[in-house]
Amino acid sequence: MPTLTLLYKHRALVRVLVGRELSARYRGSALGFLWSLLNPLLMLGVYTLVFQVLMPSRAAATSPYALFLFSGLLPWNFFSASLTDSADSLLSNGALLKKVLFPAEVLPTVSVLAQGVHFLLALPVLLGALVLGTFGVFGAKVTLTLALVQAPFLLLFQGILLLGLGYFLSALTVHFRDVKDLLGTALAMLFFATPILYDLSTVKPDALASLLAWNPLAILFTAWRDAFFFGRFLPLLAWVKLAAISSVAFLLGATFFDRVRDTLPEAV
Amino acid sequence: MSFEVKRGETFGVIGPNGCGKSTLLKLVAGIFRPSSGSIGVHGRVSALIELGAGFHPEITGRENVVINGVMLGLTRAEIETKMPSIIEFSGLEKFIDEPVKTYSSGMYVRLGFAVAIHVDPEILVVDEVLAVGDEAFANRCLDTIRELSARGRTIFFVSHALSLVEDLCDRVLYLKDGKVRGLGDPREMLALYRLDVAEEEGHRLQAVHTEDQVVLQALEKAAEPVPEPASGPEPSPEAPKDEAAPPAEKPRRWGDGSVVITACRLLAESGEERYAFRTGETLVVEIEAHPRRKLTDFVFGVGLFTTEDVCLHGSNTDVDELAGESFEAPARVRVALSGLRLGEGTYLLDVAVHAKRGTPYDYWRGACRFRVATGRPEAGLLSPIRRWESSGGVVFRPR
Repeated sequence: MPTLTLLYKHRALVRVLVGRELSARYRGSALGFLWSLLNPLLMLGVYTLVFQVLMPSRAAATSPYALFLFSGLLPWNFFSASLTDSADSLLSNGALLKKVLFPAEVLPTVSVLAQGVHFLLALPVLLGALVLGTFGVFGAKVTLTLALVQAPFLLLFQGILLLGLGYFLSALTVHFRDVKDLLGTALAMLFFATPILYDLSTVKPDALASLLAWNPLAILFTAWRDAFFFGRFLPLLAWVKLAAISSVAFLLGATFFDRVRDTLPEAV
Repeated sequence: MSFEVKRGETFGVIGPNGCGKSTLLKLVAGIFRPSSGSIGVHGRVSALIELGAGFHPEITGRENVVINGVMLGLTRAEIETKMPSIIEFSGLEKFIDEPVKTYSSGMYVRLGFAVAIHVDPEILVVDEVLAVGDEAFANRCLDTIRELSARGRTIFFVSHALSLVEDLCDRVLYLKDGKVRGLGDPREMLALYRLDVAEEEGHRLQAVHTEDQVVLQALEKAAEPVPEPASGPEPSPEAPKDEAAPPAEKPRRWGDGSVVITACRLLAESGEERYAFRTGETLVVEIEAHPRRKLTDFVFGVGLFTTEDVCLHGSNTDVDELAGESFEAPARVRVALSGLRLGEGTYLLDVAVHAKRGTPYDYWRGACRFRVATGRPEAGLLSPIRRWESSGGVVFRPR
């Protein structure tokens, strides 16, 4: 697989570019890296205010709703930001592809990895909130269990899935600029089609619930919430599905990228 | 096209815009893949196609050097070792820890060049990058390129600065419309290129000339020649014209209309109509005119001007001791100007028919424009035949 070989060969480049993305992002802002922590904290504050004070939670299954929502929303932000960034990564670095001998697959990879680091930086906020949740700070008490150890594996599968989608979208965007606009709408629709605001168990009628369960992302985001919020271990079948989905996405994305790689510098 | 560049050679590529120079370099650098055919490159290539490509504006010069170095294939350790030398070369000691967005475009390029040159490539591809940066830095860059060349590195060099190409390159490839126009000795290729440029300019002038003639004939039909108040055959001084711009000013004419010049064209000695000449070539001016009445007092004249309106030459049949006897029907008059050793440039021709005492019948200013090529990068309005001689303790060898 040329993509993997190239990425391995240019791992130093990937590393410095991820570093660049991270250090450039908050350069010039007074709080700098603190924003990675502050943003999710503020987000959590808003959810708590809205769902605990303004419109208190309805279903017992999803209570406390602020934490329920937060544990799905953080990985979703990672997901959607990665796709948006990587879709644009080749175009916005067109000068590199055109003027320098530059391995193109490095760019979407860097987008996904940099967003992954942001996600990791936001995780302590979620964990802290969950710890507070065990004391009932957010209403109903939550229980933290060993199920948390599943998180690194979920992160791994989500990362592989994102890389595959990122390769596909970035190369496609070079040839069809429309993808960039389409992607925003598609992600918004996908957000509602994926159980993040709600739990599949509360969806009525059952026919709709089983339809929504077909969405591969439903498995992933249900899994995140099982690990963080419900403290449940995933059934083996779910792991098999996750592994299959992410590796198929990666293989297809990387193969597509390989196919069109030579056309990229001229089309950018 | 097919060619080979040997290890250690400094190879120049010239040609007009859009002829494929940059594409060729990108193919050599491996940025583009050939859609057909093949290219074999043996050695580590570093491409100075766009300096500082990939600099991130928000982070400091120093951090960008690291990233740029890794992009060009250095390891972090190598970069750290070379960092002082890179900073020294760029001359940006004071600014290196500032974000790159605060740099001027010249500083940007200096830093980019400093990094690229420290990669120590086996093959260096340089595309018109020395145009930016101040004189001192440009010289430093050239010295570095010469030094690399002396160390046996292969250099691919694209530039529109022809004298630089001549100075640096062992061999030159002249591309035109994506095809090889010539390949060989730099001076020969540059001369060929310069002549081609002049010839093309000549075609353009011919096209403009033909257009003018059409306009003129239309005017002719509509009315008598422009009755501009004539003060004499000498034109009133005009503002200098821009040589590069197509002649927006229409040919200016005045006279009492006793004679109408219906056409004026330039010919080569062979009789072929042409508006581009090599220096020293004979230039034939052909004037077609017809009289409105029977004339016995008439003089045909020509004048040569630069585009800045400097008169280079003016003469007429009277000066050349030909007395007009009769002019009663449409006629054609030619004058061959030989031994004209003009310098490289565009020139204007005035033609006139007037009375012996000066009353203009038809004075046509800027009737033709033509281009002269010397084939050498010499300066000035004249291109004399030169012969250098020397004695004493100085030695030259022909290049």
